[in-house]
Amino acid sequence: MAYARRLEQSASLLALLAIWAVVTMLVGAIPSLPSPVEVVVAFADAAARSSFWQEVGRSTFRVYLSFAIATVVAIPLGLLIGRSEIFSDLTFPALEVLRPIPPIAWYPALTIILLTPANIVRFIIFLAAFFPILLNTIEGVRGVEEEYPQAARSLGATQFQTMRHVVLPGALPSIYTGLVNAMGLAWVSLVAAELLSSSGLGYFIWNAFTAGEYPNIVVGMIAVGVLGYGSSALLRRLGARAIPWLSAANA
Amino acid sequence: MSEHNTDTTTRSDTDEQSAEQRRSWTESSGSGTVNIQDLTKVYGDDGDELVAVDGMDLHIEAEEFVTVLGPSGCGKSTVMECIAGYLDPTEGEVLVNDEPVEGPDPSRGVVFQENRLFPWKTISENVRFGPQMRDDVDESRVASLFDQMGLSGFEDAYPHELSGGMQQRAELARLLANDPDIMLMDEPFSGLDAMTKELMQEKLLDVWEDDDRTVLFITHDVEEAILLADRVVVMTARPGQVKDVIDVDLERPRSTDIVTTDRFNELQRRASESIHDEAERAMEQAEGRV
Repeated sequence: MAYARRLEQSASLLALLAIWAVVTMLVGAIPSLPSPVEVVVAFADAAARSSFWQEVGRSTFRVYLSFAIATVVAIPLGLLIGRSEIFSDLTFPALEVLRPIPPIAWYPALTIILLTPANIVRFIIFLAAFFPILLNTIEGVRGVEEEYPQAARSLGATQFQTMRHVVLPGALPSIYTGLVNAMGLAWVSLVAAELLSSSGLGYFIWNAFTAGEYPNIVVGMIAVGVLGYGSSALLRRLGARAIPWLSAANA
Repeated sequence: MSEHNTDTTTRSDTDEQSAEQRRSWTESSGSGTVNIQDLTKVYGDDGDELVAVDGMDLHIEAEEFVTVLGPSGCGKSTVMECIAGYLDPTEGEVLVNDEPVEGPDPSRGVVFQENRLFPWKTISENVRFGPQMRDDVDESRVASLFDQMGLSGFEDAYPHELSGGMQQRAELARLLANDPDIMLMDEPFSGLDAMTKELMQEKLLDVWEDDDRTVLFITHDVEEAILLADRVVVMTARPGQVKDVIDVDLERPRSTDIVTTDRFNELQRRASESIHDEAERAMEQAEGRV
């Protein structure tokens, strides 16, 4: 059963590969479009060089660091906004104005205020991850039925304890959805920001383009795809562990 | 228990053991009086007001077991939520131990019909919740509660993995682990099947007879109201007021067998008559004829 399932799950990946191979064979008129074989060769070449792995490590570290900071800031803020009408009225309108601005649009403004390229990339990833976590936390908190905080208060919990033991776990399934979305967006905006900077996988892709090493463009793209996929898978696994009462419900 | 009430009718103490028990309760300086004074609760704004409770007065002695019997929508839950501290009265006040109620408090434990166990905590974590928050868990007490409520072996289960009856027992255990002076119970057994309900009633009677606690128990079940109570308070249809107070002079300790006795039937008839007209009025209200 598990084996058959694996096969099903890899079907779309194989189809993707097949389409790519067919397109490069048929469209011989575009000789610069790299074929799967060329890309495999380029990947073997890149994998042998430590500079490639440095870019991979740099990008991964950037995503995880900014994602972690976004999580630590957005969850408490979301808890407060979700629970307190006054706090919500005071802060939420400003956040709603900032939210539609694409993270990458901050690049020039951040350059003017003298941030280093590395810090700009970090900040942009932070922004990309911050809003989905915040909004899902708020939604999760507002979805917690008032009976539970009431019960906690009647059992003697303080406001803080009610937040920590009742509101937060009650909102966790929604927060977790936000985290998974945020992780995806973090990788998307990482590459966008790195295209404009001088290091990381985004830079690797851009550099391959300007140097005419077209197979490396695809190597970089696939690396981002695989890393993003792996990050989401990791998060899913952690989520299942953090929300045992739901996995018990599904079992 | 009813010796606390100066206005009660005299009754026969046929059970010596029970009489002795009552004396010991009377001597203990238990706190847990509830004084409802001219309580009025109005929902909604001008033009669209709903008077749920209108000038209700009720005094409950410490360690007394009072059931509130009323038709649906008569405001009995509103009264309870005012005592719990979830709602502020529009007029009048609720005094507990002569102090006005200001928000929820662990000395006033609450149980509802639909269980409010935290779905994200195991049964053990739920039962320990109150003491845990004060960093003061009495392990032997928790263990004996699990034993008493028949929850042993389910410590690590999540609430949704338990039957309705077990969930209510877990909720009762959580309440008792917190050692409240007053237990506020809003139709806690009405969602259970007849057999489970009877077992829960006996459990509750055991628990109450062992400890010094005041119980305010809301129900729309006449038999349940009499079986459990020292006094049955009959409420009118909305806006809720006290219509009638019936002293239940049945011996303690009680078991569910008592429902077949003549005296029980007599009390039941009286309560049924008292509530009948109110139930009719409540039904008319629900159908929008009033």
